[in-house]
Amino acid sequence: MSTPHLYSDPSAETTEMVKPRFYDRKDAFWSGIRDGRGAPAMVLFAGMVGFGAMGRTNGFDIWFTTATSFLMFALPGQIVMLEMILLGASSLTIALATSLTATRFVTMTATLFPLLHERDRNKKLYAKVHLLAMTAWAVSLKEFQTIEPRHRLSYFTGLGVLCWLISVPGTFIGFLIAGSVPMPITLGLIFINPLFFLLTFAEIRVNGYRLAILLGSIAGPIFYLIDRDTSLLTAGLIGGTLAYWIDRKWLRRYDQAGSA
Amino acid sequence: MSILDNLYQNVQVAFAVEQGWAAWLALLAASVGTYLCRALGVKLSGQVNQDSEFFRWLSAVTYAMVAALTIRLIFLPVGLLSTVPLYLRVLVCILAIGVMISNPNRRLVPALLTGTLLMVTIGVFK
Repeated sequence: MSTPHLYSDPSAETTEMVKPRFYDRKDAFWSGIRDGRGAPAMVLFAGMVGFGAMGRTNGFDIWFTTATSFLMFALPGQIVMLEMILLGASSLTIALATSLTATRFVTMTATLFPLLHERDRNKKLYAKVHLLAMTAWAVSLKEFQTIEPRHRLSYFTGLGVLCWLISVPGTFIGFLIAGSVPMPITLGLIFINPLFFLLTFAEIRVNGYRLAILLGSIAGPIFYLIDRDTSLLTAGLIGGTLAYWIDRKWLRRYDQAGSA
Repeated sequence: MSILDNLYQNVQVAFAVEQGWAAWLALLAASVGTYLCRALGVKLSGQVNQDSEFFRWLSAVTYAMVAALTIRLIFLPVGLLSTVPLYLRVLVCILAIGVMISNPNRRLVPALLTGTLLMVTIGVFK
């Protein structure tokens, strides 16, 4: 049985909703799982294999390395944590440093969950939010445009569960194969992560957000050279605010003139 | 044979070494810190209306943040990726984006494979 798919027309407005894409919540959940099996699973699996190998190379045990992926499920933070344990930092310092790398989750969640149906915006989200990582966020944000609000949470849950669970065998396998993977393959595995996010940018249709990506790309390296740890936060705040301001002052007038 | 040796050694290490409690405590602290950021997002999302100006600003900040992270991983990588010259990294990105935009619907996997395989090829000839 095939699922009816409605792809968004690039020229169409993001808010435009036509026929329901799914029959019920179960259908939406399984569709999320199916969509997750492609690019998102590849990307997460590759990232976690790399992390598992890093755990092995630095002398951690397999349970600890795998538990990290399961409990934190945030690759940049996991890497920071391993590095800091090796440096002998205190637990409090480690908690602060990893939380700093996780600040992106605050705004990711706050921009994704308002798109859910009113009925789904309740306490249960505090459990489901653990499934949110950059991969599921990017895919959900795009797919939600063509999913009716009442089925969005089920789709996100299916996608997120798959991404989360794939990270466990990924880390485990990465630990075991560390050292026996040829260099070119390792190179491909490392590169797949940033490439995925770069490619998802090509799918964003809102001019104001495109500008935010451009300004964030410029601000990112500049702030990174000034201070490594806070660079994402400062680049996001300054690049994003500037893009928002330009969008509000100039871009939206063109958008309105174009669509009128 | 060396690959099997390596695997055998990894299995030995995997189940022989026992992590000290300090590392587990650090993991616990890091997990709580990471989760609190997600929970804070849920809390904040309850106050946000998707048609509001605040939502647009927050989205712009998020996109800028994600873009900053992505560009950093490509332009200022640490480790193995930094051994590939910058112009090759950029070239691979451009070719992958080319595959992506050659058809606006569902070209993500082919584009991802193109970029990854090109990077593997670069690794072979390095």
